[in-house]
Amino acid sequence: MKYEKVLHKNLETPGYAGSLADYERLGGYLAIRKALKEYAPAQLIDLVKRSGLRGRGGAGFPAGMKWDFLPKDPAITRYLCCNADESEPGTFKDRQLIERDPHQLIEGMMLAAYAIGARVGYIYIRGEFVYGAQVLQRALTEATRAGYLGKNILGSRTEIDLHLHRGAGAYICGEETALLESIEGKRGLPRTKPPFPAIHGLYGKPTVINNVETLSNLPHIVNRGVEWFISIGSSPKSPGTRIFSVSGHVNRPGNYEVPMGIPLRELIYEQAGGVRNNKRIKAVIPGGASAAFLTESSLDVKMDFEAIAQVGSMLGSGGVTVMDEDTCMVRAALNLMEFFAHETCGKCSPCREGSSWLVQIMRRIEHGHGRAEDLDQLVRICNNIGGKTVCAFGDAEIAPILSTLKHWRSEYEYHVKEKRCMAGDRGEELVGIGRH
Amino acid sequence: MSESVQIKTETVKLTIDGREVVVPKGTLVIEAARALSIEIPFFCYHQKLKSDGNCRMCLVSIEKMPKLQVSCSLPVSEGMVVQTNTSVVADARKGVLDFLLANHPLDCPICDEGGRCPLQNYSQKYTAYGQFKEEKRIYPKDYFSPLIEKEMNRCIQCMRCVRYCDEVIDSQALSSVNRGFHVEIGHYAEKQLDCEFCGGCVQICPVGALLNRLPLYEYRPWMLTQTETTCAYCADGCSLRLESRPQTREVIEVTSFWGNETKSVWGSGRNEGDLCAKGTFGYEFVNSPHRLTKPLVRKGGRKDGPLVETSWEEALETAADGFRRIKTQHGGAAFGALASARCTNESLYVFQKFVRLILGSPNLDSSVRYGAVNAARAMTELTGTPRWLTSYEEITRADLVFVIGTDITQTNPIAGLKVKAAAKRGAKLIVATPLRRRISTLSNIVNRATRHLAHAPGAERAIAIGLVKAVLEEGRLAERVASHRSTQRLRDAVAAITPKQIERATGLPYEEIKAAAGEWASASRAVIVFGESVIRAKDGYETVRILGDLALSTGKLIADGCGLAPLMEENNEMGAYEMGVVPDRLPGVGRLDDESDRDRISRAWKEPIPAGPGLTMMEMLKAARDGKIKALYLMGENPVGSLPASAGAAEAVEATEFVVCQDLFLTETGMKADVVLPAASFAEQNGTFTNQEGHVQAVRKAFDPVQGTRPDWEILSEIALEMGYPLEYEDGAEISHEIARLWPGWRELPKRSEQEEAVARYLNEELAEGVSERYRLDRKTDHSVAPNHRFRLVLGPVLFHSGKMSLKADGLMKVMGRPFLYMAPEDAERLGVTEGRLVRLRSAYGPVQRSVDVEVKMDAKYPPGLVFFPESFNEPPVKDLLTVELAPVSGVPVFKTTEVLIEKA
Ligand SMILES: Cc1cc2nc3c(=O)[nH]c(=O)nc-3n(C[C@H](O)[C@H](O)[C@H](O)COP(=O)(O)O)c2cc1C
Ligand code: SF4
Ligand code: SF4
Ligand code: SF4
Ligand code: SF4
Ligand code: FES
Repeated sequence: MKYEKVLHKNLETPGYAGSLADYERLGGYLAIRKALKEYAPAQLIDLVKRSGLRGRGGAGFPAGMKWDFLPKDPAITRYLCCNADESEPGTFKDRQLIERDPHQLIEGMMLAAYAIGARVGYIYIRGEFVYGAQVLQRALTEATRAGYLGKNILGSRTEIDLHLHRGAGAYICGEETALLESIEGKRGLPRTKPPFPAIHGLYGKPTVINNVETLSNLPHIVNRGVEWFISIGSSPKSPGTRIFSVSGHVNRPGNYEVPMGIPLRELIYEQAGGVRNNKRIKAVIPGGASAAFLTESSLDVKMDFEAIAQVGSMLGSGGVTVMDEDTCMVRAALNLMEFFAHETCGKCSPCREGSSWLVQIMRRIEHGHGRAEDLDQLVRICNNIGGKTVCAFGDAEIAPILSTLKHWRSEYEYHVKEKRCMAGDRGEELVGIGRH
Repeated sequence: MSESVQIKTETVKLTIDGREVVVPKGTLVIEAARALSIEIPFFCYHQKLKSDGNCRMCLVSIEKMPKLQVSCSLPVSEGMVVQTNTSVVADARKGVLDFLLANHPLDCPICDEGGRCPLQNYSQKYTAYGQFKEEKRIYPKDYFSPLIEKEMNRCIQCMRCVRYCDEVIDSQALSSVNRGFHVEIGHYAEKQLDCEFCGGCVQICPVGALLNRLPLYEYRPWMLTQTETTCAYCADGCSLRLESRPQTREVIEVTSFWGNETKSVWGSGRNEGDLCAKGTFGYEFVNSPHRLTKPLVRKGGRKDGPLVETSWEEALETAADGFRRIKTQHGGAAFGALASARCTNESLYVFQKFVRLILGSPNLDSSVRYGAVNAARAMTELTGTPRWLTSYEEITRADLVFVIGTDITQTNPIAGLKVKAAAKRGAKLIVATPLRRRISTLSNIVNRATRHLAHAPGAERAIAIGLVKAVLEEGRLAERVASHRSTQRLRDAVAAITPKQIERATGLPYEEIKAAAGEWASASRAVIVFGESVIRAKDGYETVRILGDLALSTGKLIADGCGLAPLMEENNEMGAYEMGVVPDRLPGVGRLDDESDRDRISRAWKEPIPAGPGLTMMEMLKAARDGKIKALYLMGENPVGSLPASAGAAEAVEATEFVVCQDLFLTETGMKADVVLPAASFAEQNGTFTNQEGHVQAVRKAFDPVQGTRPDWEILSEIALEMGYPLEYEDGAEISHEIARLWPGWRELPKRSEQEEAVARYLNEELAEGVSERYRLDRKTDHSVAPNHRFRLVLGPVLFHSGKMSLKADGLMKVMGRPFLYMAPEDAERLGVTEGRLVRLRSAYGPVQRSVDVEVKMDAKYPPGLVFFPESFNEPPVKDLLTVELAPVSGVPVFKTTEVLIEKA
């Protein structure tokens, strides 16, 4: 089925290059004009609350509610941060929004800044997004020159300045409080919460952090109204569209903007062209590397926050990774564990020590040195991490192991017993194979 | 009604393990539990630090919260229900320990922390299971620093060290480096750690990852005896703990009051548990093989004979005989006596009693004469007491701190922490100093300044005058002063000084001074902290008085939260002054020239006190050279080593018929003495020191005096006995009692309200007195920087040294084993020298025509044209380039600065 594009509308329009002129030609910067004219900041917050827009960065927290947590005293300086650190394996939607339609994001940020009363906003962009950073910088300059940013935007006496801050390559800097530390020039380590950023954020001031996609939704909500927004997707809890980055063993990997709540099967088979070589699906990660693996039996799940949670995973960042029947689940889990063990920031004991412990056991199992007690040990370690860490990374890193152990324990047991892999063409003798 | 509302808003009621507790709002759950004596285990938490919540040891379960919460960073809320002892919580603790033990080397048997380590203790308590069967992480061993040993394999990454170094010390010498599993503690310097060496990171590390390197592997903690006592180095007056081995009479290390035990007192003492390098690593002088352990006398009693070892009996007899002889032949006035302000109050008290009653001499003085007396005297005139009417606490809470005349981290590091804490809290910080901003791992108070008055060297008085002028002329006077008749005299005096003159003297635009004065006047809790560059200058006394005028005229002299905070150098300078070890004062700051004071004390002593005026130190030395002083008694004081050669101290000692010296070490003065008596150190006796604020603090004996030494007061007693005058005391405590009887308020802090009277008197009588002399800009004080190869040489204290004691402390010598001439990089370039090269210094004027070669170190903190040399070092003899000038009122020998010519050596 074909769906109406919202966030992708401009960038899928032929000839659209994302310049200010392009953006304005397709109706850009009308939302901010409208908001400045028609809504007081509190009204804008209310509007976004009513729209039910939820965060697209991972946790799915309602955006309007988050904004409303900020202290009401206008004398307190507050900040807006755009989380453009997109580093979750399997997720690549923000990058496209940044590179192809930067003004949509800028307008979204202006709306958010206006609503929360922030005069300064930062875009924290992943260090590797060199091109994206150039595009954004150019767009920011254009917007400033055109009077959209600065002291007195559009003659409204509202001041909004946006700054681009490039990351330096750590995955953890996508975690919102690590991101704040990084902007402050410190090591990017998550902060213990509470206090939450809404009270004690950037430089100790109330701060809102939103994802690129979340913010890019705002101009459309303002332009087309709450009713329209709610009419898309799985309202009332998961309204709007969602951009899924589909990757893995599919015929057409890529970003697909669809209404939230379409079945996973439809996303894979209709949007992403089905599985390569018509193989069967063995596993799907529905929401980025931090989400638990789903089995083939979950393919009819609706792709919205609630339904995915019900089957034991999460919609997360919208990165959908499809694995076919030949995939070794131990190796897949190990692959992700290697990533997490490499990216743990090391701040808190359970995650710092636990991640390396887990990866060592996983390597042994994968390489044919597994021991019978390893599987229980994995579960025990995961449980000692889960819910006990400074940031959500701890819960993320255990998801692949716990879910694969739950659904494919026999594969682990086969590795341990037979010292080799049972899955498809990777059934070779494993003993003696070095690290990947 | 309002009261009950207040209580409601300020406290919170919660339940922990079924027990209710009411605590102040904002209290952390872990502290609320402590209030109920419920112990929640923790590693990364520390009351001195902001919560970081990284170890996850303190997890507790809280009703209505799905996840366990870290109690070390969660504030209580009304009605909260906390469980600290469920099986879920117990499993979490066990789990955390399991993680922390996973990669830990478990080398407890050889770890210096073993036995006082919470990781050991909790593992035992929560029976952590060592489940880890993978390969352990091994950090390669690397050399960290001469004083601090780093054993990263033991590190639990709690970051207390890094946080302490940043949040408390403001040195930022440490950081975590690498990421994740490979996180370790690193430092910013290139090769080895280069920092303030406060040792705080060692103290605060819960495990054996950071250790004092000096006694490494030499002890097991449970074999050591702890003695809580007071630091013998500086007047900040830190409480510390000597960890010693009484059997061998050795100090093994120094710990602070918060260190490792998880249930420790969280930083008691004036220092709240913080110490500086001298306190932490300077203890080894006590154990030094250079300690005197046998009395020495001149062989055959001949002046030209060598000093030879002898028995105590013979030495005491020789001393007593000599004194008796001089006394009968020449009378009491032929004695001069000098004491070090490092001695205890008790020894100082007995000293002055001995000199006044037994030697019968009014000629006694102490090392306060090197400068502290300027402050003590001016403060006494202003407020009736030499003690502060403010405190460290008030500095910390101030909304404005004005620091003048001190590189405070170097001179008074712990007082410096209070100023830094105020600045970090958001207080305004005005710093008047010629030093520049420069970031390094030795914290520099200028960096924290919200206003930097970068004046010409030596212009402290001009700054103070400028501020008073601005305050008066801008109408910022406190009411009481504005309407007072004395004020007109002050007005006239400052009116006679033009803004131009002030600008010329300070090198600053008058507007800048006016702005600072405005900030000062509008602050409501404001303290002036001033140090040696004010106090030890030739016009030190006047400058202190002017700063007093500034505080008084703006109503901040005795107002709550305000006051003057003179910084002193030696640990017991306040005590020496208060015990009357100056010619014009009697114990309890009585005045010798005050009949009633003299009578009161004479009555208590049952002996008349010789009337004065006695001679000050420099007068004594002159009298000795002139043959009028026949005998000198030196208790821990070393004028030959302390004064520049041109002061003639050596000649004075040589010219004196009979010289007795008691000291820890054989000093330059001791080498010229007739009798040398080995004294016990602060670790070997009971007594008290009075810190610069005026707190009388306990000095406690860790072990008996090192074989062959005796406490100073005991030596005095014995000589007295030998001379036929009983001056006997059972122990230090008995002397303390006698002091307290004589001066009932001794151990109490002066009360502001009680000083009202003194201040009123000052306002009525003394404010106007001598204003024209006070408010004068001496042309000579224009120390602006000279051109070409002329430089202003400044001598001053440094963080790592104090002189005699520190130079015998191997630890401190490892950090700073030799002195350098510090200069601005621009100057080094101008002279064509690089770091480590020698330069030749020559006095630019005056009779001294010596030259001295000294090694250069570049430090951009020093402004061009100014070079700095640490005064504790006598070698190379840079000090001898200076001529001593006498301060007019106080007779302080001034040798802080001179002009020198510098060339490449
Ligand atoms: C380990 C970790 C990494 C994260 N990385 C990202 C990221 O790259 N981009 C992002 O938008 N959110 C990321 N998040 C989520 C953010 O912490 C935060 O929830 C989000 O930016 C909030 O924006 P939203 O409410 O608009 O989703 C990450 C969270 C964790 C725990
Ligand atoms: S959970 Fe992991 S990534 Fe998050 S703070 Fe702890 S160590 Fe760092
Ligand atoms: S200054 Fe040096 S000794 Fe003190 S805490 Fe920092 S690193 Fe440790
Ligand atoms: S060295 Fe000590 S204080 Fe520093 S992080 Fe490691 S365990 Fe903590
Ligand atoms: S020297 Fe001074 S600051 Fe240092 S520990 Fe001793 S009393 Fe404290
Ligand atoms: S003590 Fe609370 S997390 Fe470390």
